[in-house]
Amino acid sequence: MERSLPDGTGPIYVPLGHIVACERWRGSQLAQEMQGKIKLAFEEGLTPVDFYLSNRSCILYVTEADLVAGKGYRKRLVQIRNSSHLQGIVLVEKTQMSEQYFPAAQKFTVLDLGMVLLPVCSQKEAASLIIQLVHEQAKEPSKNPFLRKKRAQLSEPSLLQTVQQIPGVGKVKAPLLLQKFPSIQHLSNASMQELEHVVGQAAAQRIHTFFTQSSDSAPRAL
Amino acid sequence: SVACCSSSRPCLAEPHNSFHLPQERKRTHILVDSREITSGSEVISSLRAIHGLEVEVCPLNGCDYIVSNRMVVERRSKSEMLNINKNKFIDQIQHLQSMFERICMIVEKDRAKPGDTSRMFRRTKSYDSLLTALISAGIRILFSSCPEETAELLKELSLLEQRKNVGIQVPTVVNANSHKWDALQFYLSIPNISYITALNMCHQFPSVKKMVNSSPQELSMCAQVTHQKAEEIHSYIHYSFDLQMLPKP
Repeated sequence: MERSLPDGTGPIYVPLGHIVACERWRGSQLAQEMQGKIKLAFEEGLTPVDFYLSNRSCILYVTEADLVAGKGYRKRLVQIRNSSHLQGIVLVEKTQMSEQYFPAAQKFTVLDLGMVLLPVCSQKEAASLIIQLVHEQAKEPSKNPFLRKKRAQLSEPSLLQTVQQIPGVGKVKAPLLLQKFPSIQHLSNASMQELEHVVGQAAAQRIHTFFTQSSDSAPRAL
Repeated sequence: SVACCSSSRPCLAEPHNSFHLPQERKRTHILVDSREITSGSEVISSLRAIHGLEVEVCPLNGCDYIVSNRMVVERRSKSEMLNINKNKFIDQIQHLQSMFERICMIVEKDRAKPGDTSRMFRRTKSYDSLLTALISAGIRILFSSCPEETAELLKELSLLEQRKNVGIQVPTVVNANSHKWDALQFYLSIPNISYITALNMCHQFPSVKKMVNSSPQELSMCAQVTHQKAEEIHSYIHYSFDLQMLPKP
């Protein structure tokens, strides 16, 4: 088992399904809420971290009092942000009393530091959220619907749609053109004469103009 | 302040017009979906009046706000997030993921309705699991207490993106009776293309033919997309159509 470095941001070993908590949380409501639902191991000297969910991800807990007291909590956040191997999730007690300080804390955490921030009302809410975070991290990434890849779609229907956006080309001319010039690239490089073999002269002219006309030119005549 | 999360973006050449002196820097642009006129009128007016942003209302087809060449922002009320139709929401996020490199959600507190004294929001397990799933998929979440604060967050996001050289640089207005308009509609029909990508193509390529015949590198630079997205567009343009593959009506 690796020991944490003196600055507290060194590697820490967290068995699967466990949370390593900082000693100061022993006996707190937050710890009590989690015990029984998840295995909690207390360790000394984890500062600035409050909880380790895994060896790569940790939780920084900002209490109502921290938030009201000023910007002191920011130092801890920066310390974790600067450690290359740790992803910090910041839980903030957003209550009636600390609400007014929340926007500044959010701006600093999410926009300036690029860390994750989640508001909670109480230690009870924090406990269930932390358990949820552990479950999420233990899951196979493919079980996360937002990480699942969308199935590739057939290009044919889209291509018909794209070709129909060319002025003068509708449902009838689009498949005719694509049968003769099978890709958008072929179609864009077709000469007037080649286009006239498939569609009438007027349509051929419009297609050719659409592809070749400089987009900086004057509005088209109606 | 400290720079935000390490940029994983491949080194794209900057748009040609990004070397303005600070004092003549262009105003920040934000694209807003036309549906937000009804549900987010206070957001739009705050963006314009308080923050002086260039707000363009466009048919964004399911994206609430586009704040840069790569980032979309979805605005949701807290009550919507609590009683969400999960499948519909997943579809929508996947739709956004197919078009954008970065997604941000702003969860906005519901307005207290008159007469509605103390409707407390009970945090549910499904709400927590939704939040954690979004986080582990790399989707950013911001919390707002009112439309005005949402506008402030949108401004901050677009300024942040601008500092990373992915700000919206092209004119966002396209005359409806122009060749540019025709080209825009054509580009928008390419699968998994965002409105801002199509706009960039419109303004950065001298003609549609030029765009169609460009290399993935040129596409990546002019359309301001990742190399992967540029390859995807390139292969669509070169895809050989086969009538047999069309689904039977």
